[in-house]
Amino acid sequence: METIALTIDGKKISCPSGTSILEAADQYGIKIPHLCYHPDLKPFGACRMCLVEDEKTGRLMAACVTPAAPDMVIQTATARIIKHRRNIARLMIAEHPESCIVCSKGNRCRLRQVSAQLGLGETNLYHLPNFKPLEQANPFIIRDLSKCILCGKCIRADHELVVVGAIDYNQRGFKSRPATAHEVGLERSNCTFCGTCVSMCPTGALSAKTSSYVGSPERESNSICGFCGVGCTLAVGSANEKVIEVNPAHLAQSINGATLCVLGHFAHDFLNSEDRLISPLVRNNENGKEDELVPMAWNDALDLVVQRLIEIKNENGPQSIAFLGSSKCTTEENYLFQKIARAAIGTNNVDNGGYTSGQFLTRVFDEKTDGGWRVNPLRNIEKAEVILVFGADPNHSVPVVSYYLKRAALQGTPIIVVDPKQTELVKFASFWIRPKLHTDLELINALAALLHEKQRYDSAYIDKYTEGFSIFRYSLTSLDLERACQVTGIDRQCLMDIVEAMNGKKIAFVVGHGILQQKWAMHSLGAIFNLSLLTGSLGSEKGGVYVLARENNQIGAMDMGNVPHLLPGRQALDNDAARKRWQKNWRVKLSPDPGLNVVRMIEAAEKGNLKAMYIMGENPLRCLPQPQRVQKALAKLDFMVVQDILNSETTQMADVVLPGAAFPEKHGSFTNLEGRIQSFTPVVTPPGNAKPDWEILDLLIAKIQQSEAYETLEKIRMEIRKYIPAYAQLNGQKPGWIAQTSQKALFHNPNADGLITFYPVVRAAEKSEDADYPFSAIIGSLRYHLGSGTRTNASQRIHGFDLFGEIEISPEDGAKLGMADGDCVKVISQFGTVQRAITLKKEIHPGEIFVPMAVNSNDAMNLIELTNLDDPDSPGWKTVRVRLEKA
Amino acid sequence: MKPTEVDWQQLQTIIDEHRGDQWGLIPLLQAVQEHFGYVPPETIEPIAEAMNMVPSQVQGVITFYAGFALKPKGKYVLKLCRGTACHVKGSRSILRLMQRELDLKEGETSPDYQFTLETVACLGACFLAPAMMVNQTYFGKLAPTKVNSILDEYKKEKKEKEK
Repeated sequence: METIALTIDGKKISCPSGTSILEAADQYGIKIPHLCYHPDLKPFGACRMCLVEDEKTGRLMAACVTPAAPDMVIQTATARIIKHRRNIARLMIAEHPESCIVCSKGNRCRLRQVSAQLGLGETNLYHLPNFKPLEQANPFIIRDLSKCILCGKCIRADHELVVVGAIDYNQRGFKSRPATAHEVGLERSNCTFCGTCVSMCPTGALSAKTSSYVGSPERESNSICGFCGVGCTLAVGSANEKVIEVNPAHLAQSINGATLCVLGHFAHDFLNSEDRLISPLVRNNENGKEDELVPMAWNDALDLVVQRLIEIKNENGPQSIAFLGSSKCTTEENYLFQKIARAAIGTNNVDNGGYTSGQFLTRVFDEKTDGGWRVNPLRNIEKAEVILVFGADPNHSVPVVSYYLKRAALQGTPIIVVDPKQTELVKFASFWIRPKLHTDLELINALAALLHEKQRYDSAYIDKYTEGFSIFRYSLTSLDLERACQVTGIDRQCLMDIVEAMNGKKIAFVVGHGILQQKWAMHSLGAIFNLSLLTGSLGSEKGGVYVLARENNQIGAMDMGNVPHLLPGRQALDNDAARKRWQKNWRVKLSPDPGLNVVRMIEAAEKGNLKAMYIMGENPLRCLPQPQRVQKALAKLDFMVVQDILNSETTQMADVVLPGAAFPEKHGSFTNLEGRIQSFTPVVTPPGNAKPDWEILDLLIAKIQQSEAYETLEKIRMEIRKYIPAYAQLNGQKPGWIAQTSQKALFHNPNADGLITFYPVVRAAEKSEDADYPFSAIIGSLRYHLGSGTRTNASQRIHGFDLFGEIEISPEDGAKLGMADGDCVKVISQFGTVQRAITLKKEIHPGEIFVPMAVNSNDAMNLIELTNLDDPDSPGWKTVRVRLEKA
Repeated sequence: MKPTEVDWQQLQTIIDEHRGDQWGLIPLLQAVQEHFGYVPPETIEPIAEAMNMVPSQVQGVITFYAGFALKPKGKYVLKLCRGTACHVKGSRSILRLMQRELDLKEGETSPDYQFTLETVACLGACFLAPAMMVNQTYFGKLAPTKVNSILDEYKKEKKEKEK
């Protein structure tokens, strides 16, 4: 790019052509005041505060919208400019209500800051506030448009960054204000309450709603969001050791930039919930008050836990104890947790809540690529030539990812959506394929077969990086495309169109729960893997496989070996060399017996084979299918410890409850869905006597092993860095990435020359329809809850949103059943019932219904069967056959 | 024109004529207004979809231009000029007179959708001050008697129809 030279305030400056004067000046430390400018938004020039003067011509111009030109001589603060700026600010203040004393923006108000810089106190103008009605019907955002200065940041953020388009300018002149279509309240518009506009607003026109006035934060510290797998950087504002406000931190290279989602922005009030656990609790067996949890001192509670675990181990063997860890806890905590299980107790019965999202199934990719696939920066998705979205609704599950996809679509990248539901992403897609349920595997295989048949694959790439293509292509040729079209309900021409769209393109594959929790998930993932090789996309900067992670540290938990079949560093437990290495690292003997995953744990408890469980940060009674069955199983345990932050269905059953700390209350790190390792430090202290979870685990492991405690987190990190090469960048300061350790040539590691093999082509068996259960229910989440909703239900704001989780039914089925919006329906599966109101939605395919999760104690889980997701016979957790009855 | 159910088929035909035009929004809105007499709010969504925009953007354009209306207007739209020349020549009294005669305030439409009374900043006919327009027809050098006879003309038309 051409570089141009100019002079600003007497300083010689050079910048690339196309840079605005404001940005050029900023790079050299010359600050020009502004109100409507934001580095992530397109230049707009609304406020005129950034006026500068061209010395040669004497022209005044707005620096944010004027590109720097060669040999310009610019003055940014002459008396003339200051006079004009003061007048602009005076006029704005004259129209502004004088409510600064109760305005939560306080001294963070940009209008006040700019006025102060200009030395402007009284305006000496007739005060003419432009009062507008106050809008605060929703529990998230208060809109006091009297304070609006029409900078348009909210509108531009809405259109350019989160691509929703809920608001735009309405009317003109004095009446002009941002408004929703038909000027309805935000809660009745398509607003997703991501709150990006609130963080952008320079004045108090937009603010987060709180139950009572909280003022402005005493201090603001950065943290990492602990909800979904995106791992947004947050600026957390606190006062009196309470988190009162959250905004995007807007750091360079952060994943979220200036955006967040409704959970990240508003649901953090769960931290101040009355349901927080503040003291260790122990079930009291004395004085005949058996069923009561009573507070106990930390040391006594931990001694009791250790004593009971050792007793049970000695009596029934280590296999009678299981450890269920958390995909929400930190990487360091997950490492300690599985170490307690494997090294201190001697069992491989460890798993984490990531199981419920099918996270463990990504081992298909790990095995094939030697872990090489795992680093996928989301920024690269903007470089992808085609984006293929399989069974994912990122607008609801991981909203920040959906912003990336929608922005890519606006820039012209074709998006292909494969989903039974007309998701919000379909509006941005070039193609939308709606295969029949359970036929993803056939569809993906058919695409591969067609790519092969029409020779639309990348043969140079295949020759260079893969082996066994001849066998693989043979299995492709033997696929019956006619049958695939018939089974999936997609005609050949449509498949052909998709293949043509994919031809010669590097593709980013986005995979969601529609695949991960679905029947034949593992084979479907394998088939997607094959597509990524055929198209030469895997390992390319412009392509790759993005598996959406529902929870913040699903990746870290798996990396730390908090799954039964993998040791830390994703080394297989049945690999003798790896096991020996860890025996040496930990100086203990490790059991080679395969451990139980969470479903097997419940099954073992049912049979009475499991005697004790240690559950950290999970609520199996809410997040697992068939909750009643889970409850009966857990009731059979002799001893159950629950370490958590909130009082939950599961803590109510525990013998000992240990209060942990939520992420803004402790040190730690999370690994996000890109493979980015991000550390954070505490913003506030844990409530009451609660302790950071790593401290609790540290005390426990020292007590069980009768060894010295780590005492500092850095010591744990040192051990992780030493033994797990992929985590060499876990340093507690700068964000890092999972290191590339793959031995496959594709990932360009020095000396790596391994070739990648294809996943075998698996054909799915025919399924029979069940006449007793004529509908298919799809279980999915809404953006207002995460997972089973344990934390989000403790948020007052989310609670205040009156989300009933209406069952979505197609209008055709509604007419057939004689049901209208708001009617109550009973959904009955072989395993249980859910009763709720319905809403008719044209986005739903006839014969299918959508049941939102996380509402009504997550009763949607009643419908599905608790089965192993990698079991070939498992129907998966995503869909289930049901019948509908009027209630 | 009285508000009626939107004829969706008709709307679809109008939209299809402009679908995909890069700068077609304003011509499309004009065509919709020409046909329905105003831009019915329920047409915003289909228009936005056809123009690949969001509804709030389309609404923003409609409310920005005085020439577009989201509410139905009367059969006769009276636009009285309140520009400087007309003001000097007494258009304020003309406005008062018209308000009294029609029993309408500025910006209002009569319940029978016969008249809408509006003021504009300047009609560009200063040599005819004080001036007004009724639909596309100009009337200049207004005086109370002249205004009364013009209004009577239009009221008469309605009465004749009713007979």
